[in-house]
Amino acid sequence: MSTILELEQIQKYYGNEGNITKAVKDISFEVEGGEFLGVMGASGSGKTTLLNCISTIDTVSAGHIRLEGTDITEMNPKLLARFRRENLGFVFQDFNLLDTLTISENIALALAINKVPAKEVEERILEMARRLNISDILNKYPYQVSGGQKQRCACARALINNPKLLLADEPTGALDSHSAQMLLSTMQRINEQLGATIIMVTHDAFTASYASRILFLQDGEIFTELYKGSDSRGAFFDKIINVLTMIGGGQSHVC
Amino acid sequence: MYAKLVLKNAKRSVKEYLVYLVTMTICVTLFYSFLSISSRYYHPDVGSEYNFRILGRGMKYAICAVTLLLLFLIRYVNHYMLRSRQKEFALQAVMGMEQKTIGRIFFAETFIMGICAIAAGIFFGVFGSQFITAMVLTSYEKSYRISWTLFPDTVLLTIGFFVLSFIVVGLFNLRTVRKIKIIDMLSADKKNEPSLKKSRWMPTVIILYELSAAGMLANGIQTMYYYFDRRFAIPVHIMFWGNILLPAAMLLWSVGWLIAIWAGRKKCDHKQAVANQAGSGTDGQKNSFSTLITGLLVCSILNAFCAASMPGMQNKYYLSFGTGINNQYMMSVLVDLLFLICAVIYLANSFIIAWKEKSPEHRYHGQNLFFYGQITTKLSTTNKTMTLICATLAMAIFLFMIAPVLIGWAGGYLDVRSKYDVQIFSRYNNVYEEENLPRDDYEFVADYLAENGVETAYDITFDLYLPRSEDFHKRIKYDFPVVAISLSDYNVIRQMLGYEQISLEENEFTTQWQTIATEDERDDFLKTHGEISTDAGKLTLAKRNCYTEAMGETLYNSYTDAVLVFPDSVCRKLLPVMRNRYIITTDKISYEKAYELEELFVSVYPENTESGVAYGIGLSTLQINRTKADMFVLQAVMLYGAVILMVICLTILSLQQLLDAGHYRYRFAVLRKLGVEEKDVEHLILKQLGVWFGLPVIVAILVSAVIATYFIQSVSAQISAYIGFGTLMMQILVTGGVLVLLLLCYFISTWILFKSSVGE
Repeated sequence: MSTILELEQIQKYYGNEGNITKAVKDISFEVEGGEFLGVMGASGSGKTTLLNCISTIDTVSAGHIRLEGTDITEMNPKLLARFRRENLGFVFQDFNLLDTLTISENIALALAINKVPAKEVEERILEMARRLNISDILNKYPYQVSGGQKQRCACARALINNPKLLLADEPTGALDSHSAQMLLSTMQRINEQLGATIIMVTHDAFTASYASRILFLQDGEIFTELYKGSDSRGAFFDKIINVLTMIGGGQSHVC
Repeated sequence: MYAKLVLKNAKRSVKEYLVYLVTMTICVTLFYSFLSISSRYYHPDVGSEYNFRILGRGMKYAICAVTLLLLFLIRYVNHYMLRSRQKEFALQAVMGMEQKTIGRIFFAETFIMGICAIAAGIFFGVFGSQFITAMVLTSYEKSYRISWTLFPDTVLLTIGFFVLSFIVVGLFNLRTVRKIKIIDMLSADKKNEPSLKKSRWMPTVIILYELSAAGMLANGIQTMYYYFDRRFAIPVHIMFWGNILLPAAMLLWSVGWLIAIWAGRKKCDHKQAVANQAGSGTDGQKNSFSTLITGLLVCSILNAFCAASMPGMQNKYYLSFGTGINNQYMMSVLVDLLFLICAVIYLANSFIIAWKEKSPEHRYHGQNLFFYGQITTKLSTTNKTMTLICATLAMAIFLFMIAPVLIGWAGGYLDVRSKYDVQIFSRYNNVYEEENLPRDDYEFVADYLAENGVETAYDITFDLYLPRSEDFHKRIKYDFPVVAISLSDYNVIRQMLGYEQISLEENEFTTQWQTIATEDERDDFLKTHGEISTDAGKLTLAKRNCYTEAMGETLYNSYTDAVLVFPDSVCRKLLPVMRNRYIITTDKISYEKAYELEELFVSVYPENTESGVAYGIGLSTLQINRTKADMFVLQAVMLYGAVILMVICLTILSLQQLLDAGHYRYRFAVLRKLGVEEKDVEHLILKQLGVWFGLPVIVAILVSAVIATYFIQSVSAQISAYIGFGTLMMQILVTGGVLVLLLLCYFISTWILFKSSVGE
């Protein structure tokens, strides 16, 4: 697999000269095409900031982010908007669906914004809805469906344009365990069957166990990384718990 | 601590409610400016022949009454503020603050904002009152000088009026905050507004409209029964039948719809349950409800045209309906137009949805899906408000349009009426014996003027004669005979008014016409009166057969628009029925003296005497004073009312977008995350606001244009006589310009504020 995303010494500071908060200190890593990468860390470790920088919603203070060789830190706002709609798909903790549109229209909006011909739109929505098992709720409004269904709709919207990179920020954060499990299975299937590259930020070990590699962040830096390799999901989960124990409950914290 | 909280909240609210505050400031400014002329300290130099007090009194009451409309706006905005702040109140309550205290804090902050608006309003009002003074002096034809004065009684009245309004609304809010449960406050922003299909608004409107359709049907049949004649022209036939068939069609359409619904429900009773579960049942019902409304809308438009054609038909085909019938048709035009507003606003939503469904090409083009979602959601929850805004806007535009008509009419009428400084006249309408006819010279009036040092330039006492004495007993309204004046008297009057003298051959006559008479009326009369027989023999119409210079209304017999001019020798043989005296003085008579003279005249010659003769005196000083004061009050109230109504509507339209900026910020943020460029977002905002302001404004302009056309059509004779259509169109264009300016100001400020509130 070739490298699809490359982060080079990313730094992100907030505040002014007298009072600087370093959210991301110095992070570099690469993501292979078709990889399912998890980013974990305690609250305030910089994982959402990192995701926002990759997703071009936020800008970096220093460093470079390259997607398929294109440096996205040096693009102007117009190009960035185009880049976002052509290359990235987003899934957020709070779904980010529009309450004024039906589920089907929410998905269609992403296609319409990408100027997909009208006659292809409905066909593609039906196909994606079938894959994500939301065909029967297409004509309902977001407030008429469950959280899990909403998040699958958000996934469908994120994937409908075949993005190079799917970015998920705590996608299971607002879901019950059953819905969370269904969503994660769906994401795994998308990763395996469609070959989608996924970066998922989470603080939940169970959610993270669906990924193939996990980056652990602590205080804005990479603490360690963990590969699933040929492990079962259960074994991988145990390894994650061990690392989390190490991060959150190390000797220095006890003393 | 609480004071700090109040100030901080008020400061934050100022930003959010800027449009409301600016509107309140405008209203206070106008209120102060218009009321300043009712101040005890206001003494503009309008001359001794004018009494300014008449104007001031009228203004005070009228302006206060119109301003009460503002209570509605204050209440609406406060209600909205309360709703959007409920979550904050809940948090304060959870922290242990008493709900009473929360209410008081809210009251204090809204009150502070109100006081700021009053202070700013009075400041600008000082400038505004200069503008009003200029307006007053212009209407009294005096030159204008700037004088900066603050009128303490007006300031007190302004503060008192608005503070009282704020307190009344504030007390309501206090009560609401105290009564509401914390749990309801916490979940306030999670509640959706009631959906339109569940609202009873449209069904109620339809029931009321059907009731009035039944009334229109009865009215149409009654008019047909009493006034219809088969010999009428085809358009009149269409009008008569339209006024019966269209209301009947409305009723039948609704009955048909009810039967179809009932039959449909029975047929697929079990299917309905399944459909309802899938959520399509209500959509089906909504579609069929839209069908009912569409049918009624078509009927209402046609019916409005039919009913509105009434005055035009009356003028064109000389139909004579009573005032009662005319008023009934005017009412039905108004009812039709009100229904039209309700239906158009309701159907606008259904139309957008239907269009969106039918055209995938359009639906999936760019951000159209998002745009339609924005519009339909807002329209479906604010249907009632939008309808009210439309109706109010239409009324404001109508007031703007007709103000110049009424003012021009009154002004023109005044010019025609007050031709002489003193105008004494008599009427024989209730005199049944010839010996009781008026024979006085009203000499004491001339004596009074001489005693008071008023010199007379012209003075004439003259008789008006009946061409045939047998017509003396004709007293039916449309049968009153046209009276005659002798050539010498007529020439003296012409000389008084500065017109050239005329001459007549032996056995010739000519005619003099009122300004209001139409050309058709004149032509008809002259065609049929080429020769007339009088008690002194036959007379033929002179070559120059008509004169139309304004000579006052009292020269003519009751209900007639013409006077015949006969040679003196003929008049000497006729029966004089009325005796008038016209005086023109060298200097203007002062208001006090004119008033005294009028009182004196009424005591000597009461309006109803035993002999049956009705006497009257018209003093131009008093006529001008009263008419000008009335005109000014009317003009001020209409323009003030129109501006107030207009700004209320525009403020509500603007606030409805700005106060929901929280929702919009989220929606536009989602769009940005999906990769929509900032340029497209700005374009979307402009489109959204364009539709939001455009829809009610366009509907209101159309509706008010129909009403104004109807009104202008029914007073077209007066307009052409006193104003002229060119001048009227010019005035309407100017007011239209003011209107567009107001609209643009609100639109642009809303656009800027909206952009900044949904910005990144």
